[in-house]
Amino acid sequence: MKKWIWMFIIVLFLGGLLVACGPDEADQSEEQAGENTGEMPEKPDALKLWVNAEENQEQAVEEITDKYTEETGIDVELTPIDMLDQIESLDVEGPAGNGPDVIFQPHDRIGDLVIRGLVDPIDLDDVESEYTDTSLEAVTYEGEYWGYPAVIETYTMFYNKSLVDSEPESMEDIMNIAESDTNASNDEFGFLMEADNFYYVYPFFAGYGSYVFANEDGNYDISDIGLDNEGAVEGGELVQSWYEDGYIPQDLTPDIMNGLFQEGKVSTVLNGPWMVRDFAEALGDDLGAVPMPVLDNGEHPNSFVGVKSYMMSYYSENKEWAQDLMAFITNKENSMHYYDVAGEMPPRDDALEDPVIADDEIFSAFAEQTEYGEPMPSDPAVQQIWDPINDALDFISRGETVDEVLTETVQTIHDQIEASGANQ
Amino acid sequence: MAQKKKRHKKGGLTQPRNIATLLSVLFPGLGQFYNRRILKGFIFLILSVSFLVTTWDYIDIGLWGIVTLGTVPQEHHSVQLLLQGLISLIVLIFGIAIYIFNIKDARGDAIAREQGKSKPTLLQGIADFYSRGFPYYMILPGLVMLVFIVVLPLLFMLALAFTDYNQYNSPPRNLLSWVGFDNFKSLVTIDIWKDTFFSVFTWTIVWTVIATSLQIVLGLFLALLVNDKRIKFKRSIRTVLILPWAIPAFVSILIFSALFNPTFGAINRDLLSHLNIMIPWLSDPFWAKTALIMIQTWLGFPFVFALFTGVLQSVPQDMYEAADVDGGTRWQKFQHITMPHLLFATAPLLIMQYAQNFNNFNIIYLFNEGNPAVRGQNAGGTDILISWVYKLTFETNNYNMAAAITIIMGLVISIFAFFQFRKTAAFKEEERY
Repeated sequence: MKKWIWMFIIVLFLGGLLVACGPDEADQSEEQAGENTGEMPEKPDALKLWVNAEENQEQAVEEITDKYTEETGIDVELTPIDMLDQIESLDVEGPAGNGPDVIFQPHDRIGDLVIRGLVDPIDLDDVESEYTDTSLEAVTYEGEYWGYPAVIETYTMFYNKSLVDSEPESMEDIMNIAESDTNASNDEFGFLMEADNFYYVYPFFAGYGSYVFANEDGNYDISDIGLDNEGAVEGGELVQSWYEDGYIPQDLTPDIMNGLFQEGKVSTVLNGPWMVRDFAEALGDDLGAVPMPVLDNGEHPNSFVGVKSYMMSYYSENKEWAQDLMAFITNKENSMHYYDVAGEMPPRDDALEDPVIADDEIFSAFAEQTEYGEPMPSDPAVQQIWDPINDALDFISRGETVDEVLTETVQTIHDQIEASGANQ
Repeated sequence: MAQKKKRHKKGGLTQPRNIATLLSVLFPGLGQFYNRRILKGFIFLILSVSFLVTTWDYIDIGLWGIVTLGTVPQEHHSVQLLLQGLISLIVLIFGIAIYIFNIKDARGDAIAREQGKSKPTLLQGIADFYSRGFPYYMILPGLVMLVFIVVLPLLFMLALAFTDYNQYNSPPRNLLSWVGFDNFKSLVTIDIWKDTFFSVFTWTIVWTVIATSLQIVLGLFLALLVNDKRIKFKRSIRTVLILPWAIPAFVSILIFSALFNPTFGAINRDLLSHLNIMIPWLSDPFWAKTALIMIQTWLGFPFVFALFTGVLQSVPQDMYEAADVDGGTRWQKFQHITMPHLLFATAPLLIMQYAQNFNNFNIIYLFNEGNPAVRGQNAGGTDILISWVYKLTFETNNYNMAAAITIIMGLVISIFAFFQFRKTAAFKEEERY
């Protein structure tokens, strides 16, 4: 009797609760209809911007946004959050209503942000032509622009002028330097790079005709992976030969590589603009930089280009003004100021032609290399290629057969893309 | 007894205890009013009304959310609905507890009235309530904290393992849905998961058993040595032996990672090169595993050593003297006196050492990030389950699979915990010695 009563009570209680469940606003109709009227809505009191948590960058952005406040009267609240943590934070803060209007992200995460629905496309309109073609290509996904390009970066050849007589221009030059300057037992090397990191190795693949995903007008075909074609094998064998010839030691870590270069024991090294400050401090006037050497087939290696850009949060309530702010931060004057303070190159034609950059021996080399570069794929599936292809480079460095390894790797990538839910 | 039964049958629904119960079921407090316990009735009434008024909307959405996980993409955030649903369930359980308590109370009071017991005065009732419930009031804040800080995240993780939350299907743009045991199924059926899972799982077990046992054995051996009467400078030796423990593991592991670098590290270059040996510490899975086990032994033995040294001091000397009189050998004394003493006092802590190494993320990730790569699987050669889960979550966004693997890890750890509690109970048998 007693048990029966309890059961009855509980069923009654839960049943009663569940019957009336569900939100009333379940079918809200789309509120936004005609938005693009071209007129600016009323000014908000403040805009929120997440800036990358790096001292110089924070300082530069703060000075720029102060000017914006002066001109428009809109307060800009800056929050320093590490660039790579911003997506996770936005995922949490956005729906709760504490999210920013503008975030700062590298372009290769656009695809991921879009499939999660965290950012809105933007309208570059009249300023479109001011940014470089490469950077515009980078922020394009599914036929729309998703960010205002702010920083462009790639890697190129640094060399030590005291060890290298003339600017290395072709792979042949580099190999000659490697041949003559390498003395591994003495920790002296002619040519070093992170040859087990696909980010740096890609140009040697791409120069022979390899590609990550087939790309047609900004639409990636993730079922067509070009990392095991003939070009890839040729590139892979080139990389393998560096190990076999003893030019690049196995187990080279970035710390060791940069350390040796700074000690003046390495003639040429492949690295990015983020190392310029450290290298210049160590080598002084001996530091030189040139675009990446021309491959044996006469092609310029296509280095991966990364474009960091300001993007608009899906949760922003002041979309027009957020775009106004992003355009302001990335205009020529402010881009140059940002370059001055933070040392990062703006992807604007007028800025790259500005004597400040064009006459800078090192940065002009980077600027030139970006012309040969191609944006990293921004499709979300790109996240599934890094581990397998880096593993493949690891196997290649250990002397395993290149085409076998690459065929297997592409299969793994297909499997991983499948496992990540791409075709559901 | 027979009479009572008869009355019960006859009384049926009109019996006071049943009337009180039913009234309370209809709405908390009514039964108490019927029992003429007015104040109590008001308390229950106010409590239930305020509970319903404040939480109704929240629970309503929460329960709907946890069942459907949202219906309109972008509008509904599945992860938030899931969390709200879990919180609703917890709040609901608290509510139901109060509700049940109310019914029990009404019934109990009615029974007391039937049996002609006098109604306790207000003051008496409160005093009764207080003295019976005192321990519960004391643990209540802790319990509530525990539910929301420990239980809720665990439930959340458990729930994720049964959804399709992966890179291409993540909120807010997409809605999640429940997929039952599909994730566990693919873990053992789909090739890319199966191969990796079994090799990672077996290495995790081997790693746990070997690394932990070695650190315990080494700690024990050194503790016995240092405890020997003939050893001089005990204090200095002890200090030196504790040192590995004093340096933050974080720092030690990073330094070891540099030392073990096959080409540039000191171990190959300065030590082994004299013997003409070059060991591929980082690029060969076997040697990477060996290096990890050696490092963990080095990092872990000081704790065991300190523990055993402490316990060894407390072994009564007269036992050894008695053994000497009986002509016991050194080994017999160790086997029958020292070991039982040591293990009896330290077994739970030693079991915890195994559990800790099972999930020792730091050493794996800081030493070589689970590398070197292994052909045909998506985890490195030295990845243990926890570091693999990390990669799945933060590098490839397979949240559902990561949650599923975490559940399996949780089960393994619970086995350790189970034995630990069994052993802890040994403390209660104080008569044993």
